[in-house]
Amino acid sequence: MNYKITHSTRYKYSSAANHTINIAKMMPPSTERQRCHVNHLEISPSPKTISKRVDYFGNKLSYFTIEEPHTVLEIVAKSEVTVFPKQPVFDPISCAQVRQKIMNPVDKDTLLACEYTLASPFIRFNDTLTDQLIKFAKPLFDDDQLFLSAVDALNSKIFNEFKFDSNFSSISTPLQEIFEQRRGVCQDFSHISIACLRALGFPVKYVSGYIETLPPPGKEKLFGADASHAWFSVFVPEQGWFDFDPTNNKAAGEQHIVTAWGRDYSDVSPLKGMVLGGGKNSQLNISVDVSRYEL
Amino acid sequence: MYSIKQDLKNYSKRSDSRVDEALLGNGSFKPSWRYLMDAVADIGSDELHAREQKALRILRDDGANYNNHSKSQVDKNQLWSLDLLPHLIESDDWHTIETGLQERAELFNHIFSDLYGPRELITRGIIPPQLVFGHKGFLRENDGVRLPGEHQIIVHATDMLRRENGDMCVLTDRAQAPSGFGYALENRRVMSRVLPSLFRDSHTHRLAGFFQLLRKKLINLAPDVSLPRIVVLTPGMFNETYFEHAFLANYLGFSLVEGKDLIVSEGLVWLRSVEGLSKVDVIVRRVDDVYCDPVELKPDSQLGVPGLLQVAREGNVAIVNPFGTGVVENPALLAYLPKISEYFLGHAPKLGSVSTWWCGDRDSYHSVMEDFDQFVVKPINRGVDEHSVVVSELSDENRVELIKKINAEPQNYVAQEKIIPTQVPALINKKLVKRSVVLRSFAIANEGASYQIMPGGMSRVNLNEQDSMVASRFGTISKDTWVLSSELERQYTSSLLTDSNVGYTQGALLSSGVIENLFWMGRYSERAEHNLRFLRTTFILLNDIDEISDRSKATLLKAITKSTYTYPGFLDDKKLLGNPEKELIKVISDQHKSGTISHSLRSLVTCSNQLKGSLPQDSFRVINDIDDQFDLLRQTLDNGVLSAPEEMLDPVVSSLLALSGIRHENMPRDYGWNFLELGRRIERVLQTITLLRSLLFVKLSDYEETSILESISLSTESFNSYQRHYGATLKLESMLEVIFTDSSCPRSLAFQIDRILEAILRLPGVKENAVEMGLGHVKEAQKLITSSSMLKLSLADQNVGVRKDLEQCCSQLHSLMSETSKFLSKKYFYSDKKVQQLEQKS
Repeated sequence: MNYKITHSTRYKYSSAANHTINIAKMMPPSTERQRCHVNHLEISPSPKTISKRVDYFGNKLSYFTIEEPHTVLEIVAKSEVTVFPKQPVFDPISCAQVRQKIMNPVDKDTLLACEYTLASPFIRFNDTLTDQLIKFAKPLFDDDQLFLSAVDALNSKIFNEFKFDSNFSSISTPLQEIFEQRRGVCQDFSHISIACLRALGFPVKYVSGYIETLPPPGKEKLFGADASHAWFSVFVPEQGWFDFDPTNNKAAGEQHIVTAWGRDYSDVSPLKGMVLGGGKNSQLNISVDVSRYEL
Repeated sequence: MYSIKQDLKNYSKRSDSRVDEALLGNGSFKPSWRYLMDAVADIGSDELHAREQKALRILRDDGANYNNHSKSQVDKNQLWSLDLLPHLIESDDWHTIETGLQERAELFNHIFSDLYGPRELITRGIIPPQLVFGHKGFLRENDGVRLPGEHQIIVHATDMLRRENGDMCVLTDRAQAPSGFGYALENRRVMSRVLPSLFRDSHTHRLAGFFQLLRKKLINLAPDVSLPRIVVLTPGMFNETYFEHAFLANYLGFSLVEGKDLIVSEGLVWLRSVEGLSKVDVIVRRVDDVYCDPVELKPDSQLGVPGLLQVAREGNVAIVNPFGTGVVENPALLAYLPKISEYFLGHAPKLGSVSTWWCGDRDSYHSVMEDFDQFVVKPINRGVDEHSVVVSELSDENRVELIKKINAEPQNYVAQEKIIPTQVPALINKKLVKRSVVLRSFAIANEGASYQIMPGGMSRVNLNEQDSMVASRFGTISKDTWVLSSELERQYTSSLLTDSNVGYTQGALLSSGVIENLFWMGRYSERAEHNLRFLRTTFILLNDIDEISDRSKATLLKAITKSTYTYPGFLDDKKLLGNPEKELIKVISDQHKSGTISHSLRSLVTCSNQLKGSLPQDSFRVINDIDDQFDLLRQTLDNGVLSAPEEMLDPVVSSLLALSGIRHENMPRDYGWNFLELGRRIERVLQTITLLRSLLFVKLSDYEETSILESISLSTESFNSYQRHYGATLKLESMLEVIFTDSSCPRSLAFQIDRILEAILRLPGVKENAVEMGLGHVKEAQKLITSSSMLKLSLADQNVGVRKDLEQCCSQLHSLMSETSKFLSKKYFYSDKKVQQLEQKS
């Protein structure tokens, strides 16, 4: 499937900002699953300095500064991406086998994947939370259970037991509260899934990207009605990473466009930075549009 | 009678199973130590004590503090402690240690380069991945960032102790922002002054070469410029090793800066100073890396510079040590060091480390738990409350607690063998005693060669005999370390800063922070001096044999409240006026109330503590005197002794005058001087005006006003000028004439205004006719002073009995001066614009 993606971010400051530093991670990479044909950032006012690089996690980013007084900052990321229909093939492997290979890593990929079994800035454990998570997820991961079927079952369990509620959480809501209240958005669903898998010792990444949404039958799709999306990717030794979307109860497929990976949201936030001045109340508007096109 | 000679005889006889570095197997002193101990004994106990006192004085004058926060002493700085007995290391012994340290620094440099590069240590299975990925020092943002050249760790420090068999053994590696080499240099400076002949005759290796090399390396790290600007980045004066930051900056000729002194713009780092922005090429970092850049690292840090990491990444500034070096401080690496060394160097390390087991490894964890009591347990991450603990010394309760913590996060702990360190002689509380010793050594990356090791280092012994560890939280005393050379070495005669082999840098600039401190130092010293004078005058008048009227007395006391701004004071409470002693003591010595003498002096000391290197060295001695005199005064006042209290204030006034004299005679007339001058002059105008307003607004009877006029004349030191013009009888009109307009009288308003105008005109970017530059207010004040009729000012309104004209004139002058002060701070000091986070939720 081919997509044109427009991701606009607009800050309106209550008084002039004199200097801003921003890091944008809005550039889909080319991988086995997708190819990015075109990607560019339109930034206004135009940056004083801008540099592109690939970060530790392999994500493309733009680091830019604006060093003149401005009251509006606008960043529009435009991309054209093809997502391949072919999904990675899974060689049946049991939970016990995965556990054994993770505990005694030998090959390079598994050794490096061990990083994703650990706590991270947004995914911190304490005794209570760990117990809760294990109680929640462990029954699905019996030794002779097929590993990816178990992950799929966890994905469904979270989808079924958690309520999508865009008014409940903020970026600083503790994981424990999300878990206990069983509600949140895609970011929270992904963090909970990751926390469950890490509590059980499995390597798992946070993925940020976009998802194509289809309009209700008979209606025309509105421009900008989409959103950035998040899901998780779990590691299978000797086979690689497999993506699951707990918000939509499915494996990530042809409608999922990846922009970045990390240990959790803190590694991949689409835009972060600092502003000098700008007043107390800035307004933020974000719109995302994902539309199909024919090559 | 105590004698060091007697102590010496007993020293070797003392039965102790511990190995003593100074003694041979048969209990007699080794020759090198024998020589030292005999020399010390010859000096004699009394003289030795006198030299200790001298050492303390030098340390204090140098401001050599070590603010150990684990002891809750917030108020006073703690003086660095130095034992006059050096730690001796023989030449051959040192050669082995030195070679081992060089190799170790190389090894740690390999580890650092690998972890932020190919990570082969992980992908080839040499160290467990969680050991790196789970350590807080591993900064993913630093991946791939490199300094020019092969060496990434520029300064590497180790803490070592000696095993019973004599082998040195490393306990800890430090690379985040190693401290101690400045203290080591200070120790050496003190020792060479206090025990000059002993030091000269000992053939001790000099330290100067080490610092020359450091300077040279830093210059070479600068991105392609001929005259680099190098700064030392400090978290500020509340940091425990702030002394060292200031000392090193000063010694090496660099600017000492805080994060707020630097900004990133156009992809470069700039130092903000009075003269504008100057590009910075090398930053010697004494702020922990995660605090250095709120954009990419710790977002709420106030100590950093937004955008700094990106400039380093692009190679436009060199940061020493680079970011991310905390990862090599992980003690769990020691468990794998032989394997790591084998991988990089092809052989085991020459210098051993303390045996270590990482609890994140299952087998190690089990063997640790089996024999738990024989270990020392240490967290892998450094933290405020994270310490090594000797398991066998724990209470049952704490032992259970520790096991629980390890079980919850085994990967965050290591267990280490308990080593009984060797002992050395130490002089503690005038007694010769045996103490455990730890040596911190320092390695510097050497251009085109291996690391160079400081010959010696900073030794520390435990203060209390019973402590099993030498750790600053239990109290330690430092020692100079003398590496004895077998032959005379060449002397470093040339000065560090002018040696052409080392290279040159830009001179140290006055940062905005320094300028601001100088300005406030001027204001606080003047405020303290003025108020002390006025209090002294009031004491004299209150205790005068000719008793003054109640109304005069009330006017004087209320003026004290107004001058010091210690409201409500005498304004509120009529009872206080009859019995003023308690409130007067409070005005002098209450530390917590702003406006008191105590508060002004404390603020003065705080400002000056941040001005090491910007003030003449003599100032610090005088400031210490002020501090001491004031402590004494406060103690006396706490006992309520108030006979001839005015005399007790005199020494402080004299010291403040001495400080002002030093400023006048010893300070170069640079921008810094101008700000000190401006602070002083502006404060003097404000104080004089406040005094006049509060004493003269209400007109009293001529008889009552005599004592008021006398107090003005005494407090403003204008009597001599007055007498010269008008004779001995005090008359208000003439007195105002002197105070307002006599520009030859150094305490008159006219004189202050002239000096303020001169000082502002010397500031960068100020032109004679530029009204907007703050000159306008001063010129207006000048006009107001010259155009006012003193007769008119001296007269009171017949109906209400108040001096309205004087009040109006003073009030105008006051606001003009306040505006000038505000202008200066807005233009030359920090802007108060806050940085905020930009973050969004997906």
